[in-house]
Amino acid sequence: MNRTRIAAVIRRHWLVLWRSPHRWFEIAFWPVMDVVLWGSLGLFVAQENEASRAGVPYLLAGLVLFWTLTSVQMTGSVSVMEETWTRNLLNVLTTSVKPFEYILGVSVFGLAKLALTLGSLTVTTIFLFGFDMSAIGWSVIPIVTLLILNGWAVAFVVIGLILRFGQSAEILTWGLNYVVLAISGVFFPVEALPPGLRDFAQFLPTTHAFAAARAVLDGDGVPWRRLGLSTIGTAGALAVSVWFGARMLGVFRSRGFVTRYS
Amino acid sequence: MTVGPYITGQPSQERKRKGLSSRPRSGHNRDIVSLDVDARGLVKVFKGAVAVDHLDLAVAAGSRVGLLGPNGAGKTTTLLMLLGVIAPDAGTIEVAGQQLPHGRSRAMEKVGFVAGYLPLPENLTVREALSLFAGFAGLRRPGPVVEQAIEAFGLTDLADQRNQELSSGQRTLVSITKAVLHRPVLLVLDEPTASLDPDIAIRVRQALLDLHGRDGTTLLVTSHNMREVEKLCERVILMSRGKIVADGTPAAIATQFAVDDLEGAFLAVAAELRGGPAR
Repeated sequence: MNRTRIAAVIRRHWLVLWRSPHRWFEIAFWPVMDVVLWGSLGLFVAQENEASRAGVPYLLAGLVLFWTLTSVQMTGSVSVMEETWTRNLLNVLTTSVKPFEYILGVSVFGLAKLALTLGSLTVTTIFLFGFDMSAIGWSVIPIVTLLILNGWAVAFVVIGLILRFGQSAEILTWGLNYVVLAISGVFFPVEALPPGLRDFAQFLPTTHAFAAARAVLDGDGVPWRRLGLSTIGTAGALAVSVWFGARMLGVFRSRGFVTRYS
Repeated sequence: MTVGPYITGQPSQERKRKGLSSRPRSGHNRDIVSLDVDARGLVKVFKGAVAVDHLDLAVAAGSRVGLLGPNGAGKTTTLLMLLGVIAPDAGTIEVAGQQLPHGRSRAMEKVGFVAGYLPLPENLTVREALSLFAGFAGLRRPGPVVEQAIEAFGLTDLADQRNQELSSGQRTLVSITKAVLHRPVLLVLDEPTASLDPDIAIRVRQALLDLHGRDGTTLLVTSHNMREVEKLCERVILMSRGKIVADGTPAAIATQFAVDDLEGAFLAVAAELRGGPAR
């Protein structure tokens, strides 16, 4: 592992972000619009029914945590797509940068971008709805960590699919997050899902991470069992996604798919 | 094929500095020189079509080799296999003393790649792009290296321009510069002067010859410009249907095909591929 090469990957993507104003939408526009949408919806429902007032923190905490996963996932996937869009993939592949170093660089860059995204989300939820995510306390740290790891796992799968199927797989960069959004119980307990999906959701590590966040919000203490289940599931998801990404890189090299981007 | 001038080339002081001086190689009839490329029995098949067919390719250190052939001959596939970007179906590859695929990263520390058809990263200035690629090559403090390269390749006036603002010729020069920042022992060039005006192509060619003369950098070039190859390369390998059909100096190849020059040999191979007589 060469730190200079990893630093160069981070700098490469930082420069892309810095020079592309539209990329700042992922940090400061879409997340903020989501907060306005879901926060306002929560307040409206609460006005109609006083018992629903507790739903507002559920919505906003779920949203912040959902963007945690989404941000790292999209940064990872879009960074690789950026190389294909600009036909720079062959330039990168013919340097001494190893795939592991590239992914590590992109992941570190993703954490920096996540810090900016969480910053804009926190400021917005505090000023618009008086909700401070940090009030949850230290127990948010393992939940956020688990969601970051799950974001990387989804990113590795998407990168693998892009390597295998080309740019037609790009739609999954955005689409897979909404699978998580719909069936992981981001805003509500998965018991509210239709029966088949409810059972399936129990196998997703993200389900237990979001459920843990709600338990903490309810003042039930740290739900260690939920965190344990999520940790086991996350470890499995990461292992499978890394294997899948490496396998697709092998197929990419074997079938000469690099010529799609040169 | 008789031993050509590429076999007898002596390693330069620069190569000795990099620890790449000649070393004996056993079990091989080319054991009198060090090789920057030693590929044996390469095979690549795409969906049933044979792109490269049991190809043996040895490129001596410090030589200038042209890889020619009609479209679909397997040139680019061969180059991409040598760079570790495409995996061969069979065969072994050793580049800059490293066995691929396991030694790919270490090999690429000593290899540069330029493709005339590839753009440079958009929205970056020339200086930023060079600095990035120096980082990709693992150079810890790229600043002085980049400034030296900018000066050496006459890019001072372009250094703060963004890549998309450059002309084709300027972009090719920058591409060559980014490929040699880490002073590679082997420079692989795929169509380096494609779509360039003749005067710019001459400048690019001269830059490559200067680089070869100064550092003893091995050049492995594909091109459709036969005159360019004749001037740039001392050895030419002619490919067709994934196989080597001729290998020698440009003059020797012309003699082999009973034509006046390399272009005649190329046309003969292309005609044979189409199943008709040479024009």
